[in-house]
Amino acid sequence: MLEAVQRANIVYSETVGPEQFGIIQKPLTLAEKIYNQTWLRKVFIIVALAAAWQLYGVWLDNPLLVPTFADTVRALVEDVANGTIPNRALSSIEVLLVGFATGTLLAGLLTVFAISTRIGTDFLETMTAMFNPLPAIALLPLALIWFGLGAGSLIFVLVHSVMWAVALNTLAGFRSVSTTVRMVGRNYNLSGLRFVAKILIPAAFPSILAGLKIGWAFAWRTLIAAELVFGVSSGQGGLGWYIFESKNQLNIPEVFAGLLTIILIGLAVENVIFRFIETRTVQRWGMQS
Amino acid sequence: MASGATLASSSAFSGAATVRPTSAGRAAAGSDPATPLLDVRGVTIQYKTQAHLVTATYRVGFNVLQGDRFVLLGPSGCGKSTLLKAVGGYLQPTEGEIRLKGELIRKPGPDRIMVFQEFDQLLPWMTVLGNVVFPLKTTGTLDVKAAYERAMHYIEKVNLTKFAHSYPHTLSGGMKQRVAIARGMAMEPDILLMDEPFAALDALTRTRMQDELLGLWDDTQFTVLFVTHSIPEAIKIGSRILLLSPHPGQVKAEINSVPRGQESSNEAAALGREIHDMLFADQIEEAPNA
Repeated sequence: MLEAVQRANIVYSETVGPEQFGIIQKPLTLAEKIYNQTWLRKVFIIVALAAAWQLYGVWLDNPLLVPTFADTVRALVEDVANGTIPNRALSSIEVLLVGFATGTLLAGLLTVFAISTRIGTDFLETMTAMFNPLPAIALLPLALIWFGLGAGSLIFVLVHSVMWAVALNTLAGFRSVSTTVRMVGRNYNLSGLRFVAKILIPAAFPSILAGLKIGWAFAWRTLIAAELVFGVSSGQGGLGWYIFESKNQLNIPEVFAGLLTIILIGLAVENVIFRFIETRTVQRWGMQS
Repeated sequence: MASGATLASSSAFSGAATVRPTSAGRAAAGSDPATPLLDVRGVTIQYKTQAHLVTATYRVGFNVLQGDRFVLLGPSGCGKSTLLKAVGGYLQPTEGEIRLKGELIRKPGPDRIMVFQEFDQLLPWMTVLGNVVFPLKTTGTLDVKAAYERAMHYIEKVNLTKFAHSYPHTLSGGMKQRVAIARGMAMEPDILLMDEPFAALDALTRTRMQDELLGLWDDTQFTVLFVTHSIPEAIKIGSRILLLSPHPGQVKAEINSVPRGQESSNEAAALGREIHDMLFADQIEEAPNA
């Protein structure tokens, strides 16, 4: 009896309408919105750095050690206008793309081989353990003997710098694909290369993309360093050679302009190309925030 | 032998009309004029871990008929998920055989679509529609246009038309499971294999999903093999329930559940208690925690 009474004993309470309480949702202020823009914050940092550089350059007043930011920009604009820098950059990028593409392709083949057989996995692991810590530039003397002065040697060291980083990340990505997703793929009769293409690659895409970014950075560094070492091969060298040449002629603003170009190209690739791929893929898929 | 063990335990509940000892149950199914869709016979499954050889199930047998809602019920460690994976073709039994429509199951295939418990079973790089269309296209079941039409039809059935172009990471857990069910049903497989699909959902969503699944079944009468460790869920979802004992999984009883829509009746409650008693008869030390 008591139990029944207790069960029926419900205390109702009123809920109030939205007019009774304060803010549920309110737009942010303009300052907050501006501060939330990542690219604006980054631009601010770059502007601050440029300003600091300019001030230091003016204060030091020794253009042979540190030319001012304005001088550097002037040299940059001049050499871009007369076509020197674009030509040099283009010849660098050309070699770079060939090396990067070849390295990525080889990494892909190696990884597919690695996931399909045990001995393949062991092979890739051993090779990456051996060659990933080896600076690609250390192979340049050998490459020069094997391939001579020219694009061949450059591409060889580039492939070496790209391949291991990309293969390592891709393999790690393939391995981290969840058992459930694998079982889903097998449920639809996917196997072999179709399984790799339709399940593993998209599922491991965040890792693959990270590998490509690292590979790109490695390749870019290796290329400039290699060009600084032997630079000119056929007709004209790349950006590394441009820096080396300018230094020999004591055109220090040009040296800085060359460095700035390398930085700008790196920034553009990172923030335009890779960012574009990221927003279209891993971010849209919710695999990366 | 499996039948010996089950007979011994079944004597305790011989009064219940809905519970049949396994051997009798199997005989009844065998004499049924309809040939079983899925025929599991004397299946022992063993797998190796780093240090042990584990026997997951021991000589389990059952038949699933066309249109059955067949539930594998048992505590954790009874090998019910392993059994389901074997039906899916992901594991090979060490003994016995599993036949679908008389064909021996050797590997996974689109005639048996799995619905998993994990939310990551949806492919994150495709929209809801893409996910449902994907198996239809890759297996070559339908041409592109027909595949999209059928996918939309099943997405509508699980009430996700508005979200057809959303990516999985923007959906709630219940919605993800609905997409997985739609994806499975769109393939119109011979049998849908569901591995505790609602176990990771909150209680309210789970109840709603169970009702929706039954609603879908009323529509198309698909055959489903459903794994759960929840007694109320088994009674509600299943038309037939196979009760498994743990370590290793052996058949304890095969049960006809209460009719559709009577899952809150006294009869269902009594059946639930009986199943509970059977499950915990031989593991008293665990009962207080349950």
